[in-house]
Amino acid sequence: MNDDDIDQQLRAGLDGDIPSPDPAARRRAIAMAREAFEAEQAQVPESNEEKEKQNTAQGIPGWLRLIFGQRAEEEGTMTTYNPKLMYSGVATAAVMAVAVGLALQTQTGRELTINLPGVELETEEDLRAPSGDADEALARSTSRLAPEVSYITEERRRKIEASALYGRPQSVAGAEDEGATVRLDIAGSGASVPPGIQEILAKEAAAGPQVAVTRSRQEVVQSGALRAGYVTPGTLPADVIPQPGYQEVGRDKFIAFEENRMTPVSVEPVSTFSADVDTASYSFVRRMLNRGVLPQPDAVRAEEMINYFDYRYALPERKAEPFAPSVAVVDSPWADGRKLMHIGIKGYDIAPADKPRSNLVFLLDVSGSMNSPDKLPLVKQSMEMLLSSLDPNDTVAIAVYAGAAGMVLEPTPVKEKQKILDAMRSLSAGGSTAGAQGLRLAYELAESQFDASAINRVFLATDGDFNVGLTNPRELEGFVERKREEGIFLSVLGFGQGNYRDALMQTLAQNGNGVAAYIDTLSEAQKVLVDEANSTLFPIAKDVKLQVEFNPATVAEYRLIGYETRALNREDFNNDAVDAGDIGAGHTVTAIYEFTPVSSEARLIDDSRYAPTLVRDGYGKEYAHLKIRYKLPDEDKSRLIERPITLQDGSKLSGDTGFATAVAGFAQVLKGGRYTGDFDYDDVIGLAQQTKGDDPYGYRTEFIQLARKAKTAAAMQPR
Amino acid sequence: MTDDDALIRAAQSGDADAFEALLEAHYDTLYRFAYKWSGNPADAEDITQQACIKLAGALSSYRFESAFTTWLYRVVVNCAKDWARAQGRHVGEALEPALEQSGGESANVEQRAFLRQLLERLEELPEGIRETLLLVHAEGLTHGEAAAVLEVKESTVSWRLHEFRKRYRLALDGGGIEL
Repeated sequence: MNDDDIDQQLRAGLDGDIPSPDPAARRRAIAMAREAFEAEQAQVPESNEEKEKQNTAQGIPGWLRLIFGQRAEEEGTMTTYNPKLMYSGVATAAVMAVAVGLALQTQTGRELTINLPGVELETEEDLRAPSGDADEALARSTSRLAPEVSYITEERRRKIEASALYGRPQSVAGAEDEGATVRLDIAGSGASVPPGIQEILAKEAAAGPQVAVTRSRQEVVQSGALRAGYVTPGTLPADVIPQPGYQEVGRDKFIAFEENRMTPVSVEPVSTFSADVDTASYSFVRRMLNRGVLPQPDAVRAEEMINYFDYRYALPERKAEPFAPSVAVVDSPWADGRKLMHIGIKGYDIAPADKPRSNLVFLLDVSGSMNSPDKLPLVKQSMEMLLSSLDPNDTVAIAVYAGAAGMVLEPTPVKEKQKILDAMRSLSAGGSTAGAQGLRLAYELAESQFDASAINRVFLATDGDFNVGLTNPRELEGFVERKREEGIFLSVLGFGQGNYRDALMQTLAQNGNGVAAYIDTLSEAQKVLVDEANSTLFPIAKDVKLQVEFNPATVAEYRLIGYETRALNREDFNNDAVDAGDIGAGHTVTAIYEFTPVSSEARLIDDSRYAPTLVRDGYGKEYAHLKIRYKLPDEDKSRLIERPITLQDGSKLSGDTGFATAVAGFAQVLKGGRYTGDFDYDDVIGLAQQTKGDDPYGYRTEFIQLARKAKTAAAMQPR
Repeated sequence: MTDDDALIRAAQSGDADAFEALLEAHYDTLYRFAYKWSGNPADAEDITQQACIKLAGALSSYRFESAFTTWLYRVVVNCAKDWARAQGRHVGEALEPALEQSGGESANVEQRAFLRQLLERLEELPEGIRETLLLVHAEGLTHGEAAAVLEVKESTVSWRLHEFRKRYRLALDGGGIEL
């Protein structure tokens, strides 16, 4: 074959049909670029102060919008706590701005690695010898080296990228010190600011403050977000405010699953599943809807959306029996003749005095992919929030992983809060993700402080990409599971979007007896880590399994809404070796079955002509029998709770039952509405509005807004 | 071209509308290249978006020394390379959707899939071959133009193409893509 033939083949092969670009993507790209362009123009050095001010003023609300998602823009959702959070948001934005400034000024795109005795370095780039005046100056500006941190210059491209993303390439220090190693004190002097930043701050302060970022400490403490107060009063330098907007899209991974189907009782009378208190799906869906896009169907897990909300089920009285089931049977709002069976469980809530001590290790992903405003900065803020939920005697250690894993903070009592905060704030993102290695280190740290009477838990915060080392999910699972048996639990906090690997995160948390939560906004962090800190931190029951046996005399067919990824085999129920979901203090779990009574005309499945139906006499008033198995946290043998569900459990579609139904309906409509008939977003909104009741945190109001957004997004979507 | 020049000058002096018009005019070119590079629309959108954002900061450095399209190609090639580097860890995964996307009815589907696969492997080859191939064979640039985009010597472009043909031939003869 001669060269021309090859070239011709190549042309034919490469020059195939190219679909025309998606107009929405095109619009978005151009709009973002224009925004970046305008920001760029506003920062031209000779531009007047007026322009800079304007830019600063635009930058902060932009930030807040990002931090709060759409919430902050809408009336009614801010009622209870957001104003305070807003201030702390401003404050953290300032912290972050400084952090970003640091990154830009001291060479964007350095890879953070940490040198520790005994910790192997596994970086993609080689460490390079220290050199360059600028670096020496920087090194002088910082002092004592507690753990030793090296910033390895990555290639120039990252710098270019960062300047494109954040605007203002001029502010990036020149390339002369590329390839140098700078040392920064991580634990000791987090407050020290390189000279470049000081200059900017001084200049901005002279220009007159436009935004006050300090608030009284007390107010901030009350808001549960202990962050303001550290921030230099004055203004945010315009040029260190990143431009929100850059997002990776399209590589989020979810496990594909099929919705539970309507099952005839005569064929399979028993349904078994594991409890699930995760809420990640709801946050992810919210994030997509707030961007005006319908979520991919596999991202919608009905049970996680339902369980996002707290329901006022009857509380158990004793710790030994950690929960009591509540049952309600109502008419289905989307199918005449069918009914919904709500099974609700509320976990026992631990009294403050009974709280065990916590030994926590934060394992934070600082890889390059976390270098986005909704990732590492939000991680830091979230962890700081969690700190506020802890007691002074609890201990916290921080490990990070990127190209290599390293300890940033040895186990430190929470009362030394400043030390912890300093360590946290000194982190920046860069490099690939040696997650597995980080996980090992985190467990080692937890083991070093292991206390059998305490809660020993690793909090993993990541965008989900483990790409170096032990990346086989099975191996990771096994590892996490072994550690769980040794008494160290794992919770996973997911961040960001673009390459979020939902399935891996879920699996890890499930194997680690922890929750998997997706933190999309600061207020979500508040919900998970402060308002519901007890549930997140303290398990009250583990391996919680539910089994429902339907009575063929009264029920013709049924289906469980959601819990597809939590289904168990019938025989797993009594097998204590089979792992299942865990429930934390105060958690609520809700499962909803839709079923068709025998007498109803709405049956989807006809009776079998040949198979006999076995009906026992004397149970004509029971729909089903509910069994729940669980283990107390420190026991290995399961306990059983059971109760029949009878005609007397019939109830009206109102209050919490109604709201949970609205959420269930919403999830199903989002997934395509296979069983929900004409029930649409308007019905969801109507039902939710009628039944939202007392809504102290505004979550339910937000839900209604999400349903509205879904309606708009659905209308825009070509079908 | 002269329209472009006027727009570029306006944009360089801070006119956001001109900048937007410029992007409107060239988005499709950027997208086309990104699509060929990545083999699927989602990634192509990603790359193009980054290229657009990058242009916001970089346009002021355009000095009219080369044709604007040459300069644009340079920007998008760099974005694509950055993107590939960031995605390096996903190479294996990226392959499958690319194959699906190349679907269609014509006989060259198979060939395209084969090429795509080959291109994936090319990342292990000396740097620069992939973009050189795309510029010359897919975008129809001359060796000289491609050299200008990539800021290399023309002979380097020729060498790269030669190098690729060599391996391509080997791969065909071997019946597989053992590079």
